[in-house]
Amino acid sequence: MTAPATPLLEVRRVTKQFPGVRALRSVNLSLGRGEVLAVIGENGAGKSTLMKILAGVQHPDSGEVRLDGAVIELRDVQAAQRHGIALIHQELNLAGNLDIGANIFLGREPARFGFVDRATIRSESAKFLAPLGLDLDPDTRVDDLPIGLQQLIEIAKALASRARVLIMDEPTSSLTQHESARLFQVIKDLRTQGVSVVYISHRLGEVKELADRVTVLRDGENAGELSRDAISHDAMVRLMVGRDVSQFYERKSHAPGEMMFEARAVRTPAHPRHEINFTLRAGEIVGLAGLVGAGRTELLQTLFGVAPAVGGELRVRGETVALRSPIDAIRSGIALVPEDRKQQGLVIEMAVSENLSLASLRRDQRGGFLNRPAEQAICDEMIPKLSIKTPSPAQPAQFLSGGNQQKVVLGKWLALAPRVLLLDEPTRGIDIGAKREIYALMDRLAAEGVAVLFVSSEMEEILGMADRVLVMHEGRLTGELSRAELGEEAVMQLATGGKKPARE
Amino acid sequence: MKKILGIFALLVAVCVVTVLFSDRFLTAYNLENVIRRTALFGIISIGVAFVIITGGIDLSIGSLICLVGCGLPWLLSVKGLPLPVALAAVLGASLLIGLAHGLLITKLRLQPFVVTLCGLLLYRGLARGLTGDQTQGFGAAHDGLRWLATGKLAVPGLGGFGVPMPCVILLFVAIAAAVFLNHTIYGRYLLALGRNEQAARYSGIDTSHMILLAYVICSGLAGLGGTLFVLDVNSAQPVDFGNFYELYAVAAAVLGGCSLRGGEGAILGVVIGAALMQVLRNMITLTGLPTHIEFAVIGAVILVGVSADEVVKRLAAKRRAAREAVVG
Amino acid sequence: MNRSLARIPALLLVLLFAFVGCKKSDSGAGATPAAKKPRIAYVCNGVADFWSIAKVGAEKAGSDLSANVSVHMPTEGISDQKRIVEDLITRGVDGIAISPIDPVNQTDLLNKVAKQTKLITHDSDAPASDRLLYIGVDNYAAGRLCGALVKEALPNGGSIMIFIGRLEQDNAKRRRQGVIDEVLGRPHNPTNYDVPGTVLKNDKYTILGTLTDQFDRVAGKAHVEDTLSKHPDIGCMVGLFGYNPPLILEALKQAGKLGKVQVVAFDEDAATLQSIKDGNVHGTVVQNPYMYGYKSVELLLALQKGDKTVIPASKFIDIPARQIRKDNVEAFWSDLKIKLGKRD
Repeated sequence: MTAPATPLLEVRRVTKQFPGVRALRSVNLSLGRGEVLAVIGENGAGKSTLMKILAGVQHPDSGEVRLDGAVIELRDVQAAQRHGIALIHQELNLAGNLDIGANIFLGREPARFGFVDRATIRSESAKFLAPLGLDLDPDTRVDDLPIGLQQLIEIAKALASRARVLIMDEPTSSLTQHESARLFQVIKDLRTQGVSVVYISHRLGEVKELADRVTVLRDGENAGELSRDAISHDAMVRLMVGRDVSQFYERKSHAPGEMMFEARAVRTPAHPRHEINFTLRAGEIVGLAGLVGAGRTELLQTLFGVAPAVGGELRVRGETVALRSPIDAIRSGIALVPEDRKQQGLVIEMAVSENLSLASLRRDQRGGFLNRPAEQAICDEMIPKLSIKTPSPAQPAQFLSGGNQQKVVLGKWLALAPRVLLLDEPTRGIDIGAKREIYALMDRLAAEGVAVLFVSSEMEEILGMADRVLVMHEGRLTGELSRAELGEEAVMQLATGGKKPARE
Repeated sequence: MKKILGIFALLVAVCVVTVLFSDRFLTAYNLENVIRRTALFGIISIGVAFVIITGGIDLSIGSLICLVGCGLPWLLSVKGLPLPVALAAVLGASLLIGLAHGLLITKLRLQPFVVTLCGLLLYRGLARGLTGDQTQGFGAAHDGLRWLATGKLAVPGLGGFGVPMPCVILLFVAIAAAVFLNHTIYGRYLLALGRNEQAARYSGIDTSHMILLAYVICSGLAGLGGTLFVLDVNSAQPVDFGNFYELYAVAAAVLGGCSLRGGEGAILGVVIGAALMQVLRNMITLTGLPTHIEFAVIGAVILVGVSADEVVKRLAAKRRAAREAVVG
Repeated sequence: MNRSLARIPALLLVLLFAFVGCKKSDSGAGATPAAKKPRIAYVCNGVADFWSIAKVGAEKAGSDLSANVSVHMPTEGISDQKRIVEDLITRGVDGIAISPIDPVNQTDLLNKVAKQTKLITHDSDAPASDRLLYIGVDNYAAGRLCGALVKEALPNGGSIMIFIGRLEQDNAKRRRQGVIDEVLGRPHNPTNYDVPGTVLKNDKYTILGTLTDQFDRVAGKAHVEDTLSKHPDIGCMVGLFGYNPPLILEALKQAGKLGKVQVVAFDEDAATLQSIKDGNVHGTVVQNPYMYGYKSVELLLALQKGDKTVIPASKFIDIPARQIRKDNVEAFWSDLKIKLGKRD
């Protein structure tokens, strides 16, 4: 698809300054009719600010936005909507207690004699649902729908307000693979109907699949553009981080060592019907793949004693252990980097130093008293070792970037020198530079003899890092793939409940 | 340290105003009185501060003070128990009550508000039932024990000024509490779990035991406070003894920098908060303001205090954000 | 959850039995002469030793005159008192004697009660209501008796502070006014009211103020202490609610001023009486709660039998207050102990 002579939407030399920081510096962007434009960049590159300007939430200090060649003023969200620009947010903006029809027409209810005209809502709603492949009763409450369908309702709502430009900010972050696939189909259909889409994502695989063109932002500036045929993983990463990343995933091969961890017929409280068996060896990195809701997080929580097993046997270095609480797990040398960094990983208001030492306090105590020198030693070791970027160890963790926060969580566990490291979506929501550091760290830990088990929803991460992959589907361990058997197809097959493909 | 600066300034301001309007404020006798009352309320406020740090609340303090305050003279004068037994009974009961609160909250997962609200009704009812609503007192007996509340340690060279005994007790309690909170791993655990219990649990902290401990400390100090209150006043009527004291304690803790969201608190701040309330009441009597507007004055000053504190915090946060944005 | 659900039928069963049981005993009792005993309710305004003495009197009258007497002490103020009275009406009683907490605003309630049963007031009157009569002390007169004690205690004049639980109640207002009017030598006028917060004085006496503590004893004692701070040369402290004088004594003792500051009391707390014996309290004014209780029941029974002659023209039956000084404290105290059934 070639960009038409006059783009539908054009951003010219937009600059936006926040107190003390320039978020955008003379940024340009153009969007054709029926084009899917992906905007990518590391966290803090300026993507969100740019999208907020387009949606009328924020206002540029200089520069202009043109629609059909004419300069437009996006004073507020309503103004943006009048011009046909709709932002579909990461967090959905639906009224969950209302039905589908009411949501689609929220704020624009058709009325007869001052009463809401429900019949019209019903018939009109169907008109907007059908093109999205949604055969839903408009009277269904939105809360009763799965999150993937809610996202589509949000799109229907945007289309009903005659949106010509849809801005989607990380739309798949909370969708299952299946729901994502459906969303992609809808986006492709919209493109043929002449709707333009600005698509923001961290997931480069999706970008590769969907985008007609990619605009890359770095440090608030245009870093480059890739046309459809130039879009490749390496090219995108290179533009995002500004350097050549020849080897993104660092995985040196190690010979697996002694048996570290065994799960025998383990049943989790979340899926008590299924028995789970697997092993981890020293120096191994094992991926745990599956769709969202397959029971991977629940399995890690059982292994860490948060949700103790309801049956089966767990062994660490050949010895049976009872993991009734995280305290037991930690005592057995198991550590968990949880999925929800802010709720489970960190005490976010506390200092970096206090977070780093939190798990080690008991070991280092002096008869119940804090051991300040030991605490200091952990900071002195971990902050440079993990290159945690913080102005000082006393900085509250909440003021660090996502990647640095994740490194603090890792540092907290490394201070205890665990034998088994469990990681749940370790790179979610962190920028590409930090991702790379975390991959390197996983590799280094494996080299030091730690057994690593990590959950990831990013296929590329699984393929890039794992020596071996366990796949779950609906609470069941459906298969195990060795490095040789590993491939996107095979993982997807098991993740959707299929059989392991026969070896070629 | 910064956090208590605001409340300390407010205390100094109220003291200065009182001195301007009354030349009696700075007499040794008056200062001793204010310090003794501050100490009594300070002890129970430190207790509730521990619970507030865990993100909980204890509404039963006033009733527990009533139970202990009526129970001790009742056991001694009516039941004729020997002094050590009676003391052990009331303080033991306080600790057990705290343990019960903690167990209900951590094991049965009841909300602290509900558990301690029931306690509020239960312990006062219990006190009234035991004593048959009769006013309890020591009469002229137990002067030795009562010295703990009414006595003072003379300070040579200060013209008759003596440090009231409750202040000495408060000093022990406050130092122990501050050391516990700031220099032991358990204090750190409390602060961590108050901010984020889940993350604390995921870091291998036995959060249940720590919460339990906080409630035991709170009720234990309420029991100690109740004992000292009745030793000081020498008369406790179960219907009204200690009424609303949980709110004075919570107010002092919050004034002293405890956040009801949990995870924040400084013992010195709590003591200053308790002092502020007592100086305010003293000021009202000394300056001849009518006593029936007492609560209005206290409420207004606290509101102004916490509002000013919040404004200062916001300004500081803004400055910090601006500074970091420049650096970043 | 399941277990607690399972308990519900059991609970219902128990309630059913209890209900049937009650019914049975009611009807069973109906056959005996005891059931014909009139039911009299004696409602107080709070919980206090004062009311415990009244209770003894009321119950004594009940057994002397063969009536079922129930005594109620509301614990949570006016709304609790309302609840008690409403429940009594629902239950059906032959007469209610009440000490209204807020006579002016409770008139409606009292009138409703007066329609349903015989209503009299005691201790504190509600003159605007349809109550048949009022048994009590003339609080203004009692206050004046108390004021006379103050003048005896300070023959050469001096400054005075008044301590009282609260001033919302009519009896508290009048009692305090009686003290003020007597001390300042004003003529007898029960309708006077000096708003608290101003210093009142004549050439001999200065009334510095009135401090209310809302029944918080720690605060009540603090008020005494703060008064000593502010007025170290104070001549006399007057405690007008029963618990005030002991708090005054406690604070004076701690300040080492026992005997140096005169104390005049109201009511008959044991600490007050002991201090009169010891000479640390000049004297106290006592009401006769025992007689309140006794007379209330006696008169309600008479009214219930249709005897209207017991209602005097003034509708006021005075149970006069008395002054207790060192000379008569012994006799008064031992009589009190007998009435309360306490032995030395």
